[in-house]
Amino acid sequence: MEPAPMTAPRRDAPHTPAESALLAHLGRALGSEGLRASALSRATYRRDASFLNADPLAIALPATRDELAVVLRACRDHQVPFTPRAAGTGLAGGATPTGVGGVRPLVVSVARMDRLLELDVVNRRAHVEPGMVNARLGRAVAAKGLRFAPDPASQIAATLGGNVATNAGGIHVLTYGVMSQHVLAVELMDTDGEIHLLDGRLPEQTGLDLRGLSVGGEGTLGIVVGAWLRLLPAPPAIGTLLAGFDTLEAAAATVGALVTSDRLPDAVELMDARAIALVEDYAQAGYPTDAAAVLLLEYEGLAAGVSAGVDTAARLAGEHGATEVVRAADADQRARIWKGRKAVAGAIAQQAPDFFLQDVVVPRSRLGEMLDAVVAIGEREGLIILNVVHAGDGNLHPFVLFDRREEGVLDRVFAAGHDIVTTALALDGTVTGEHGVGIEKRDFLSQVYTADDLAVQQAVRRAMEPSGLANPDKVLPTTVGCQEARMVPEGAWV
Amino acid sequence: MSTSTAPPAELAPVVDAFAAAAAGQRRLVIRGGGSVLDRLPPTDAEVVSTAELTGVIDHRPEDLVVTVRGGTPLQELAALLATHGQECPIEPLAGHGSTVGGRVAAALAGPRQLQAGRVRDWVLRVRMVTGDARVVTAGGVTVKDVTGYDLCRLAAGSWGSLGLLAEITLKLRPIPTQSAWFTTHLPAGRILSTLYRPAAVVSTPTGTFVHLEEHPDDVAAQATVAGLEPAAAPRWPTAARAAVDPARLREVTALAASAGLDHTAFEGVGVCLVDGDADAIATFGDRVVRLGGHLLHLDAGAHGGPARATTTDAMGERVRAALDPHRILLDPRESR
Repeated sequence: MEPAPMTAPRRDAPHTPAESALLAHLGRALGSEGLRASALSRATYRRDASFLNADPLAIALPATRDELAVVLRACRDHQVPFTPRAAGTGLAGGATPTGVGGVRPLVVSVARMDRLLELDVVNRRAHVEPGMVNARLGRAVAAKGLRFAPDPASQIAATLGGNVATNAGGIHVLTYGVMSQHVLAVELMDTDGEIHLLDGRLPEQTGLDLRGLSVGGEGTLGIVVGAWLRLLPAPPAIGTLLAGFDTLEAAAATVGALVTSDRLPDAVELMDARAIALVEDYAQAGYPTDAAAVLLLEYEGLAAGVSAGVDTAARLAGEHGATEVVRAADADQRARIWKGRKAVAGAIAQQAPDFFLQDVVVPRSRLGEMLDAVVAIGEREGLIILNVVHAGDGNLHPFVLFDRREEGVLDRVFAAGHDIVTTALALDGTVTGEHGVGIEKRDFLSQVYTADDLAVQQAVRRAMEPSGLANPDKVLPTTVGCQEARMVPEGAWV
Repeated sequence: MSTSTAPPAELAPVVDAFAAAAAGQRRLVIRGGGSVLDRLPPTDAEVVSTAELTGVIDHRPEDLVVTVRGGTPLQELAALLATHGQECPIEPLAGHGSTVGGRVAAALAGPRQLQAGRVRDWVLRVRMVTGDARVVTAGGVTVKDVTGYDLCRLAAGSWGSLGLLAEITLKLRPIPTQSAWFTTHLPAGRILSTLYRPAAVVSTPTGTFVHLEEHPDDVAAQATVAGLEPAAAPRWPTAARAAVDPARLREVTALAASAGLDHTAFEGVGVCLVDGDADAIATFGDRVVRLGGHLLHLDAGAHGGPARATTTDAMGERVRAALDPHRILLDPRESR
């Protein structure tokens, strides 16, 4: 997406004495490379990959842990909140620098802390800095016959620190699990600049699993300055299958049959007709353009199991009325099949200037109902919505396409997004599967959890991060009990 | 929505017991099947049992998800799941009577953790009665859920120090097509680097045992590659268990051997189980701690002190106080 046009006049708000003191201190400590406060820089860091945006006080770009500690202690001393950030590929506004009570936060980017600190091939683990890009780790370990399983679609840009902070998912979650399962230990820096090693490397804990708590903390519990990640051996065999269907229902029913078959596929992705048409035009992945839906399936592991899995999948797809079943014959064909899936966001840019990407989850058996509901919501709001689904996980990513220059379109986009979420909740699903709560989903938490549930969440947050300065207005609703979820927080512009 | 329904009436006795303990400044310890608790040094804390909280609440085979009450025996759950060709690979470890709640709360590692992952990774949702007598739910019934902080991970391995696990939703998987134990004289390190993701590798003084869970043809092929012979599942000592970084397991195994202890190691997992002279085990435990690990005594009679060395962890203590502000809940590994 292009940077959002300003919908409110830009103003260089005068600094408070605390802000001036903070900026002067950081300017001396970090130099011009490490602190940016110009209008242009601030515009660049207004938003993440969501379209919620707000004006930060400035941007700190520490290159080392010591520099980061200086930044966080300065925030503490001057009582200025901060918004942690890495690549900014988040989709829920978690890295959007919204302030509380009109106070602009400092964006603290860990993008320059991007080293692979240690690759332990024998024990299959890597120690990384937070700014290291996910795909870069993948390439580094592939050379050693290993793989890092979490593979969010944004992996060529998204960082491992961001993956930890959002408990990212990806295409291979079905059998490999979400990010948390691949994080052995987290080094979390608090606002005193102290690093807490939240160590999960021992098989049995002496204390609480604060590692697990910190994964998915969305920058509200401190800043991830390092992580030990679990690596797996690269699978000796991979089988990939593409199946086309006449109806969404048939594709969804096939997913149900696959999930209850005697071997789980490692990846089950679904794309609807609109998504197929868009990516075929853009990436020529070889999808059947007359299909209502395609399933992309992958089995990994030892040869006989993979082969049996692909056979089973082909049979089940056929039994559910697949019009076309293609088995990837080699690595090139496999890459081509996946190219279409990974090209969705790029392809959309050719079609519409803006998109709003939702992230909801329903029990897998409700997938068909949920897909029907999304289609109906799009028709009702007069919006093009295309469905890209981590179907094996019941995790839908409807892309709502629009052009913000169209009068009143945003209201319809928000209404569609809101209805998609409430529909998922009504089907016993949840409001976010892997993108996180950020600010976008924050107020929905009152519909998911009771007041007691949220009170405990708040108490745990305060226990982990007592200063209240780390990404203060994210994740938990500001007013517990708020009935109507707001898509846009106060102070943020779209 | 199931998550925001009123707490079930069956939890009222637990809520009342917790509130009364807070008012009377008494300490409580939570007991599941007793398979672990009964092997720890006794405490003077009052016991709160999950024995009345049993049974499956909701099994959705088509979603690979099951929700059970915390006191449900693991074997009962496993039998039900098996009728659907499904399992949750968190095997009972410490003898008969393990409950789902106890298994999740203690989160002891079994050998299958090598491939199947940790107990905590199979927990999707928990409903717990916290130390401040609130009934709280976290997580959901879908396999992906990042809605709010991940209190499910916090509950797993919390040893009852945060609350009583009243309901647990677990992720399931199909039972592997074939499952078989083998033995070999090759060292465990060779097996781990030769085979693709074996289910378990267990080393004992008499040899290495390998558990394979795969397609039958793959099991046969893997066995041939590594020269494995069919074998019965190994038995392991139970008096104490050392947990260490798996990278240091070999050092720990060597310590156990030199101390004359019977020992078995869960390779790639980092657990070494030992049996033998109580003083030798205590000395072994001190050495394990020096290697960055810890030792859990599971022999109530053999040891008068705490079952593990207590650690100070300010952040963890704050989190514990957030759920149990009156400190009514005892982690049974702690000294009384």
